[in-house]
Amino acid sequence: MKFGAMNMEPGRMLRRKRAPMANLMRCLYLGAALSIGVVANEATVADDDTITIVSWGGPYVVSQDKAYFEPFTRKTGVNINLAKYDGGIEDLRAMVRAGELMWDLIDLTVADTLLACEEGLLEVIDHSRLPPAPDGTPAQDDFYEGALTRCGVAEIVSSTVLAFNAKVFPGEQPSKIQDLFDLEKFPGKRALQKKPIANLEWALMSYGVPREELYDLLSTERGLRLAFARLDQIKDHIVWWLDLSVPVKLLSREEVVIASGYNGRFFNAAVVLGRPIEIIWDGQLYELSGWGIPKGTPNYETVMEFISFATDTRRLADQAKYIPYGPARRSSEKLVRTHEQTGVDMRPHMPTAPANFMTAIAKDNLWYARINDRLTERFNAWLGE
Amino acid sequence: MATEPNTITRILRITAFGILTGAAASLAAIVFVEIVAQLNNLLFISPRSRVLAGETPWLTLMTIVVPTAGGLVVGLLCRYIAEDRPHTPSDVIRSVQLLSGKLPMRSSALTALASIVALGSGASVGQYGPLAHMGATLGSATSRLFKAGRTMGTIGVGCGVAAAISTAFNAPIAGIIFAHEVILRHYSLRAFAPITVASTMGFIVANVLFERAPLFRIQSVSVDHALEFLAFVIIGITGALVAVAFMRSILFCNRLADNIPLPSYLKPMVAGAVVGVVAIWLPDILGIGKETLRFAIIEDAFSPAELTVTLIAKILATALCIGFGFAGGVFMPAMLIGILFGALGGAGMEWVVADFRSDIAIYAICGMVAVTSPVIGAPLTSILIVFELTRNYDLTTAAMVSVVFSNVVAYRIFGRSLFDVQLSLRGFDLSLGRDKVVLDHRVVADYLTQKFTRLAPTLTLSEAKAVLTQAGNSEGYVVSTDGIYLGTVSLPQLLALEAQGQSVDERVDSVAAPEQLVLTSDTSLWEAMENMGDFVGESIPVLRSTNDRHLAGVVFEASIVKGYMDVQHEIRRDEHGAG
Repeated sequence: MKFGAMNMEPGRMLRRKRAPMANLMRCLYLGAALSIGVVANEATVADDDTITIVSWGGPYVVSQDKAYFEPFTRKTGVNINLAKYDGGIEDLRAMVRAGELMWDLIDLTVADTLLACEEGLLEVIDHSRLPPAPDGTPAQDDFYEGALTRCGVAEIVSSTVLAFNAKVFPGEQPSKIQDLFDLEKFPGKRALQKKPIANLEWALMSYGVPREELYDLLSTERGLRLAFARLDQIKDHIVWWLDLSVPVKLLSREEVVIASGYNGRFFNAAVVLGRPIEIIWDGQLYELSGWGIPKGTPNYETVMEFISFATDTRRLADQAKYIPYGPARRSSEKLVRTHEQTGVDMRPHMPTAPANFMTAIAKDNLWYARINDRLTERFNAWLGE
Repeated sequence: MATEPNTITRILRITAFGILTGAAASLAAIVFVEIVAQLNNLLFISPRSRVLAGETPWLTLMTIVVPTAGGLVVGLLCRYIAEDRPHTPSDVIRSVQLLSGKLPMRSSALTALASIVALGSGASVGQYGPLAHMGATLGSATSRLFKAGRTMGTIGVGCGVAAAISTAFNAPIAGIIFAHEVILRHYSLRAFAPITVASTMGFIVANVLFERAPLFRIQSVSVDHALEFLAFVIIGITGALVAVAFMRSILFCNRLADNIPLPSYLKPMVAGAVVGVVAIWLPDILGIGKETLRFAIIEDAFSPAELTVTLIAKILATALCIGFGFAGGVFMPAMLIGILFGALGGAGMEWVVADFRSDIAIYAICGMVAVTSPVIGAPLTSILIVFELTRNYDLTTAAMVSVVFSNVVAYRIFGRSLFDVQLSLRGFDLSLGRDKVVLDHRVVADYLTQKFTRLAPTLTLSEAKAVLTQAGNSEGYVVSTDGIYLGTVSLPQLLALEAQGQSVDERVDSVAAPEQLVLTSDTSLWEAMENMGDFVGESIPVLRSTNDRHLAGVVFEASIVKGYMDVQHEIRRDEHGAG
């Protein structure tokens, strides 16, 4: 199945007999929803053997499809409907509260997992059902710290990075977080996500604050004030993005010179599509993300079976053949080799590659889980200033 | 060159000693810092835990309750510590300067516990003092474990202190220098070798085994204009005044606490409550204040008014906490006060020369060391800490200038350090040299002899003469039947009386007069030496005490001189020994 096919039938998931939706809800999700038929003979599969997974779209979902969805359907005959979203737990919250669940499984960041779990929007996961590493190491010890949470199993380490269009800067190229804020040296528009995350960290980091002190300082009024003051300096030169696919487009069209985005998307644009896009690894903000099960799904057992299947050592390493996101298991890391399509060695493109990781910021998941709403409010107020 | 097996064993022994002490002190320091950090998160002291809790009435309540309760716990713990107060580096200095190096285990352990509670509950105190004290205690314990001699005790203490400082700052050289400059106060290869091993071990444990980030980091910056060195001199001089104000505030609060009619175990609670209430508006004064330290080196993080307010609040809060008996150090608060002061100086400089000023971080750090070094009496250590944390020559040179001027000024108007002044207030004055304090703490009781002629008061003069002649002594001590010293008679005196025609049947107590110089058991060697100048007799009578005129024995002038020589010898061995 080709990725292009995914966009063809955006309404398919709505045909399912479960969850008759209110009109309002339909309007909310129709635009974002997309669905794929995973196997050709989908029509013959009973609805009970279909689960709906919501994930992030783009090259990421293609990598998931290749590494997890296709093999799972082949093995079990269970069809997978796919929906797309751009993160956050607002949709999930609305669905669970309304009792109109459309998803059986959700791919979300650990911060969102913690928050959703705290709010009772996710099922508790029994980690003992996860397969051990090939050498027998129990899953609990094989996954990285923080990858297994009460309601979640992480699959990847992904990273929010800055990237630039190399054609625009043929001479000196931006290489540091400070360069994002340096309009003299690197003039031009910047594309940043219309959320506090990453922007605040980078703004404060640009003052020379060591990465491990960022969240302690951002926890003070003074730290926030400094961060916003830094963002103020480039505010008129920022193009705000919401959709994850936008940064690559803006960079490719040279509408902006520097953009923030997920490293997987930038890798895809540069290596697969040959765009002149380069990543600035300085200050990359990495986080774990993975699976959570929406509260009240009727397909809990099937979904749990899928999670066990998709997070074994082999599958996690397989995903890295398609996208440079580090597997969340130690045992998988050793199996990472080349990019399936281009044969490029994937290891130097991983956020966790030693050279890329030197100044990496570990996203403070609990911090975001607890104060994201307050922070967003503050951020929006600043946007409006 | 042939090496004696003896030498090899010795080197191995010293190395093992250094490694063991260093590792123990370093691990203890790491555990200490970790527990404090966890408590700060748990008790809503750290900014992150405060923001996670949200701006709720609950947080406001906890801001007051936590330091207050912390104060009560500290107060109660201190009741079980010798002298009813938390021990500090000054106690370590005292013990080492007295050539003992022995620290009381129970009191030290309770001090560490009280410090953890104080720091964990947000009192405005530092952690380096308690860490150094804890290291010293472990060093003292290992030297006992090694059954090392007396001077090894002081070296063990030095090892522990060096490792603790090395771990806390990620600065092994500063650790070595601190142990010598503040604790030992001399440099000998004998001490230097094991202390270096211990300090390096502290660094290894902190970096290699645990990968702990340094408590704070400073980015590299440079001094852009030579003329700015003038500004660093001014920061040094004015920084000394800030340091003195800080130290005097502590001593003042100490006296204030003494005059408050409250049981002493309740006093830290009062300080905790005040700090808690003020922290509702000014959370910067709570706890260790790492975030404030960082902000101070960032341009525009504080307005000059904010700097001034925070600076004064931190001085008062720390003086109150320390003065009222909270366990904890003054090092970190001094750093904070200093860095705020330096940033203020930088802001002032900007006002004068506008854009021609270098990065604010340089000014902030000059201020930091200008205030810190006279407080702990460690100019070299302060310079080295800056150097090891920044590896920046420009910055270190600037800091050096401030440190030197600050120490000269502070020494003139206050004294060598807060520790030394605290010690001298407790009657232990190091400013006149180490031999004096050691002699001050050796008493004549240790040099007494019973080899003297005791005369009953009822003896006649002729009987007394016979007794003295037979004993071969020229002096006799007239002592009543219940042992009270009545006076001294000498053979020449008796002969002279006889020649003058005095009746030989007269009682001896009628002519015996108390010696001009009479000592008591607790007279120090120093005092004895001072008073001995005009003494011409054979031996000096020593009474039990000034109120108890029982004759405890006599002391020969030569014994006192020998005691004096012993002390000089011990000090020389401690300070100049090579092996």
